[in-house]
Amino acid sequence: MMHPKFAVVGHPNKGKSSIVSALAMDDSVQISDTPGTTTKKRSFPLKVDGEILYELFDTPGFQRARRVLAWLEQHDVSADKKHEVVQLFINEHKDDPKFNDEVELLEPIMNGAGIIYVVDGSKPYGEEYEAEMEILRWTGQPSMALINHIDESDYSEEWKRALGHYFKMVRTFDPMNTSLEQHLSILESVAQLKEEWTASVKASIRLFEKYHEQMLDRSAAVISKVIYKSVSLVEKLTFYGEDATKDEKNRIEEKYKERLRALERSTQKSIESIWNHDHLQKEQQSFPLEGMDLFSEETASVFGLTRKELLVTAAASGAATGAGVDLLFGGATLLLGTGLGAVIGGVGAFFAFNELSEVKVLGQTLGKRYLEMGPMENRNFPYILLGRTVYHTTQVAKRSHAVRGVAEFHMDSIFKEKWLNDDLRKSLEKYHKKFRSGKEIEAEELAEYEVLIRDVLKYLI
Amino acid sequence: MNLKSYLDLFELLGTDTSSREERRAFGLVNVVTKNKPLEQLSAWVYENKTKLKKPALSETFSSTLYSMTLLISVIALLFGFLSGVGLLSYNGHEPVNVIYFIAMVVFLPLFTMTLTLFSMFRANVTQSMLVHISPAFWMEKILGLLPNKIEDNLKEVKINPLLANWIVIKRSQIIALAFSFGLLLALLGVVATKDIAFAWSTTLSITPEAFHHFLHTLAFPWRDLYPSALPSIELIEQSQYFRLGDKLSDEMIQNASKLGEWWKFLAFATLFYAIVLRFTMYVLSEFGFKKAIQRSCLSLDGAERLLRDMNEPIISTYANENEQQFIQRHTAYDQMINALDASYDVIQGWAIAKENLSVIADSMKVISPKFFEVGGGNTLDEDMEIIYHSRGEVLLYVKSWEPPTMDFIDYLEALVKRVDKVLVCPVGTLEDKYETEAKEVNVWARKLSMFGSAKVWLKV
Ligand SMILES: Nc1nc2c(ncn2[C@@H]2O[C@H](COP(=O)(O)OP(=O)(O)OP(=O)(O)O)[C@@H](O)[C@H]2O)c(=O)[nH]1
Ligand SMILES: [Mg+2]
Repeated sequence: MMHPKFAVVGHPNKGKSSIVSALAMDDSVQISDTPGTTTKKRSFPLKVDGEILYELFDTPGFQRARRVLAWLEQHDVSADKKHEVVQLFINEHKDDPKFNDEVELLEPIMNGAGIIYVVDGSKPYGEEYEAEMEILRWTGQPSMALINHIDESDYSEEWKRALGHYFKMVRTFDPMNTSLEQHLSILESVAQLKEEWTASVKASIRLFEKYHEQMLDRSAAVISKVIYKSVSLVEKLTFYGEDATKDEKNRIEEKYKERLRALERSTQKSIESIWNHDHLQKEQQSFPLEGMDLFSEETASVFGLTRKELLVTAAASGAATGAGVDLLFGGATLLLGTGLGAVIGGVGAFFAFNELSEVKVLGQTLGKRYLEMGPMENRNFPYILLGRTVYHTTQVAKRSHAVRGVAEFHMDSIFKEKWLNDDLRKSLEKYHKKFRSGKEIEAEELAEYEVLIRDVLKYLI
Repeated sequence: MNLKSYLDLFELLGTDTSSREERRAFGLVNVVTKNKPLEQLSAWVYENKTKLKKPALSETFSSTLYSMTLLISVIALLFGFLSGVGLLSYNGHEPVNVIYFIAMVVFLPLFTMTLTLFSMFRANVTQSMLVHISPAFWMEKILGLLPNKIEDNLKEVKINPLLANWIVIKRSQIIALAFSFGLLLALLGVVATKDIAFAWSTTLSITPEAFHHFLHTLAFPWRDLYPSALPSIELIEQSQYFRLGDKLSDEMIQNASKLGEWWKFLAFATLFYAIVLRFTMYVLSEFGFKKAIQRSCLSLDGAERLLRDMNEPIISTYANENEQQFIQRHTAYDQMINALDASYDVIQGWAIAKENLSVIADSMKVISPKFFEVGGGNTLDEDMEIIYHSRGEVLLYVKSWEPPTMDFIDYLEALVKRVDKVLVCPVGTLEDKYETEAKEVNVWARKLSMFGSAKVWLKV
């Protein structure tokens, strides 16, 4: 049996390509406010391991609908022969540049595609659309209408009345704000176009759900890997001479930071790739490694944990030992008093709040000497990186593939509250502590961490 | 999965460039191994073996490991043999005290095996301290210091510490086994070549009965099968030896032939405690090592991703071929006017109904004797008819939000042939009070510039 096909057709510049882009999750489709952007039909197959479940077509808009209709109407035939006339039209005008767009858009329909007719519900209905709808009726293919809203205003009532004469099913869809539910609900409608297609489209719906899960899984895997890799990262630099120069110390610090940044960059790329946003252009705050003022109230509240949160987390996860415990209890009793700032300042030094990691000189006795930096000592770092990465992932995952232009990723302090609570912080800290220890992490442990991250993503996306 | 395939996997994962499609294809072809990640990984290693650079890391590593183990084992065997000979050295004056030998073949193994058991439990946790006590660990460190002993590329191998622990544990068992064989050989050799008088002696006040009881307990694995390999109470009494007494008691001399009977016990004790038990430990360590390899394989960087790629169906939704780049022409349009005249010969509305047309004209304070709706619901013939009746200057209203189609251009083409001037005037919706947006007007300007007729003007 042939797989179902659907052709997205309509007037020029009404968002056909946007809808296809959103449904096919393809961010490379050309979308612009110039009418006539799409000049050739394009196929967007849904494939599992190479097997096509359905095929979606983007098409150019109608340009000479009245002329085509006039041609068709010259042939006075009974209803059951009308589609043959349309085929005849295609055959006769294949090489006629005048009807390039019509031929392109009618071809997939005559090859069996169901019709998804797109209109802009934010602009009034007009009689000029009737020729197009009439032509579509001549093809005899099952059809539905999709009302898109390019602007704020709403004329959908008049549209629905008009479309009702031509289409059994009329739905609204916003390609710029898609969610999995909306996507699937459109597919549910599409499944009803023709009985033979229902099973296949329903299978596609299940597949999309699976796909979404797959993307969540993959994202969680990538995120947990980067946290582990960044926190446990160790950078080495061999040096000659008695002692490392200041320059050499700076160099290793730069190298270390650059590696961290590179890890974040490549993670973002992977995430974008997982969510099919390979062409994403973005603008975002750079990672606050410089000057490492991680603990300024502002940075901490936006990205990582505040001092208090860190202390509580550390205590709960048993990270605090020795002096830490003393300071903590001291801190707890003083929490209400005026000495809080001072106590926390002291604890801050203990927890290496402000540094990334110490630069160590190693190998003195063996003749080979090198500087070493890492693993990450900063307790706040994993939360900052995690926060940024999770934020980036949710933004990418939620972004419709029809949206073009530069994405602005500016995380605010509210975001952290959305996903990070005390319990989660406690569970995360257990792993962060392990990552920091420099010991090898078992696949299972990383998998457990991944589950935590996945739950966060699932909740946010 | 063995150490070799682990190392191959390590090397392959580091250099692999296969695409997700290729990996999935492999997963689909090898369906039998589905849900068995380790089998999948080893099948993958097998398939990709040819991609390894020669000599493979695993080859060099295993052969180095093998030769080192062999060397150390031979040394241990010799050492065991010499120790055995030393312990059993009999100068003909004093009998050989079996206590030393028992300590060597029973208590030392029991002690080290306890430590081994301990380190086995700890091996999975971290870098175990106990592993560092092992001779295998240190001998290797020492051998590692010898120049050219370890090839350069071996230094790149980052063996999972868990696995490293198990490598050391397993090899310690082999070495200990070799040592024990040395002891057994020494015992058999000495017994066969010399006539030794065994005795037992201790400072502690232990009665022969108690000692017998103790030996009886030690001999539990073989005492029923080989009763002669357990010294009888008489033999124990006869062979007790006091340093402060006569050189050799009469009783001992009388029973000299019997004293030799001890060797059977010693041989069985060596066989059971130093060899059989140690072999059990070896089997255990082999088992732990196998498990460690399996776990380490899964922890290798990239292994999880590889498995995921093999097992997850590839779902794709994007277009097969690339789109032709759409090039937007930005020719400036200069046939524009800002204000309308007060009257026109004809006013037409493209897909705008006649009654609306007069309202629009009213609101813009333009008058005309003729109003026509063109395009829209008209037939092409009706449009031609209207063109036929038009002349002079035509004000052509268009819906600013609707893009100019070729249908419109066709009409314009026919119209300009007939009239002197056409002024295209985009209007917004009634709700917007016919206000237009610059963006929309630009679309019209671009279209008209492409049309390129001197008679056509655009109201902006
Ligand atoms: N805000 C908003 N803009 C939209 C929406 N749908 C489409 N657009 C915009 O409308 C313009 C036209 O969209 P396209 O998807 O290129 O329209 P098309 O029907 O494919 O156009 P042609 O290929 O030229 O026929 C683009 O600028 C889109 O960004 C929508 O739902 N909301
Ligand atoms: Mg398009």
